[in-house]
Amino acid sequence: MMNTKQKVTKWVLTIVLLLAGLVSIYPFIFMLSSTFKPSGDVLSTPFQIIPKNFTLLNFETIFKNQYFDFVQWYINTIIMTVLVLVFKYVIVTMTAYGFSKVRFPGRDAIFLVLLGALMVPSDIMILPRYIIFQKLGILNTMWSLILPSVVDVYFVFLLRQAFIAIPESISEAAKIDGCNHFTIYWKIIMPLAKASISTMLLFSFTWSWNDYMGPYLYITDIDKQMLSVGIKFFSTGAAQDYGAQMAAATLVLLPVIVAFFFCQRYFVEGVTSGAVKG
Amino acid sequence: MAKKPRHKLTRAERSEAAVGYAFVLPYLVAFVIFTGIPFISAFLMSFVNIKFISKLDNLKFMGIDNFIRIFTTQTVRDALFRTFIYSLIYVPVIMVVSFVLAYLLNKGVYAVKPIRSMVFLPYVSNMIAVAIVWQIMLGPRGPLYAVQKLFGAEQPLIPLLSPQWALPTVVLISVWKSIGLNFLTYLGALQGVSQDLIEAAEIDGANKWQQITNVVIPSVSPTTFFLLISSIITSLQNFTVIQGLTGGGPGESTWVMSLSIYNYAFTKFDTSFAAAQALLMFAVVMVITLIQWRGQKKWVNY
Repeated sequence: MMNTKQKVTKWVLTIVLLLAGLVSIYPFIFMLSSTFKPSGDVLSTPFQIIPKNFTLLNFETIFKNQYFDFVQWYINTIIMTVLVLVFKYVIVTMTAYGFSKVRFPGRDAIFLVLLGALMVPSDIMILPRYIIFQKLGILNTMWSLILPSVVDVYFVFLLRQAFIAIPESISEAAKIDGCNHFTIYWKIIMPLAKASISTMLLFSFTWSWNDYMGPYLYITDIDKQMLSVGIKFFSTGAAQDYGAQMAAATLVLLPVIVAFFFCQRYFVEGVTSGAVKG
Repeated sequence: MAKKPRHKLTRAERSEAAVGYAFVLPYLVAFVIFTGIPFISAFLMSFVNIKFISKLDNLKFMGIDNFIRIFTTQTVRDALFRTFIYSLIYVPVIMVVSFVLAYLLNKGVYAVKPIRSMVFLPYVSNMIAVAIVWQIMLGPRGPLYAVQKLFGAEQPLIPLLSPQWALPTVVLISVWKSIGLNFLTYLGALQGVSQDLIEAAEIDGANKWQQITNVVIPSVSPTTFFLLISSIITSLQNFTVIQGLTGGGPGESTWVMSLSIYNYAFTKFDTSFAAAQALLMFAVVMVITLIQWRGQKKWVNY
């Protein structure tokens, strides 16, 4: 049983950490409440958490303006992100399987080279990639964002760890029953590693959805743009319309925040139980 | 793997190998095209004199001239220095704060899950979108401005528009954005610290502080090592944070290497010089990692 002193400490710590948490989410509270305020009320003091003059006008400003097609950016970003997830679901898991469950000459050496790539800052690739995209004819298309994101060394590494943790005896038994590697991979390993794979998909979703540098560098047509770049245009264009800017930010953040709240378990477990414990 | 001396692969082993290559081939092709070739060409570019992307005539080997130019060009040298300051604030702050938060949370509090989510939320959010929110919150007549007025400030500070304060402010916002991942990683590591070890230390008369420094911190040292290196790398990947918040300004006060590389590559078309700057940053990461790698033997307990 806890004595009084321990209880007090626990409460004090809780309050301190809740305050830290509040600082952490304050910008989101500010944004969400400003979304439903007329622009003139956004900076009124004292700050109203619940808008006094509730309005949906800001959304109208976004969807009905004649300069930017916000909906088009939204659709582009959804299609791009979904394609990234499909590609990674297949290719990253296959690769992790190859590096963990199949023996072939050079396997460990190749894997070391991949790990080395974790240290290469992305800045070094931006220009050569531009030239390669040009040569492949995928510059100014969403493929210039989708294909490179498949090269995710981090999750190849984490999924390989997860696959190694699945006992070899399971694969052996399946082989005796006449399963080949592809069946073992698709029917046995993939379902068993569902949690790790979900973690990869969630992280990849937020990375692709939030990516700014890729579309900024490689996509030039405004109607092919993604939300991250689009919202920047919008905020510069909508000059002082703070309410509309906040509503736009809310719309961009909504899908990731919803995903986060429904799938927190996978985010949290993926990181806390990851391979980094050493 | 290499237990046996080299031998001819049996038929079964050969077919196993073929399957193995088939599994990893699509990935390796993508890796070569989008990481391998870009890396090697950036390396080669930095030793020649390419201007504009497509012009390859008059190609000349420049030795290390492009690298010397980094230090003789005032704006680039300043950018390098600012990048250094950026990392110098970012890395210690994110390491210490994430550890303290994780440690306190792990000590037993109420509402563990809500707190965990609150700290992690910024990590999944879109930097450009939250940058707009921060600009308004820290901007003229925003909440920070109002608070300063309340305390009687004549000319309240607008941090992102102040040459002295813009860089530290950008760094702290970037810490706020990324801390969730470090925090959760530490939390996982702390949950693995043996309770017996702590109790043993307590019985031996160690006070709270001694328990932390002599038991807890050494126990999570592999995680600290991993987070230290990944935080250094993250601190150099600051293009989006800066583009979102200040665009390098005011003046040049947040003009760092990532912006410089972009500027020389895509605006000034000084291709080789941009490549040299990028390669220098990579070399810095390599050297730091190697030093850490050698040093880890002294302070990392596996």
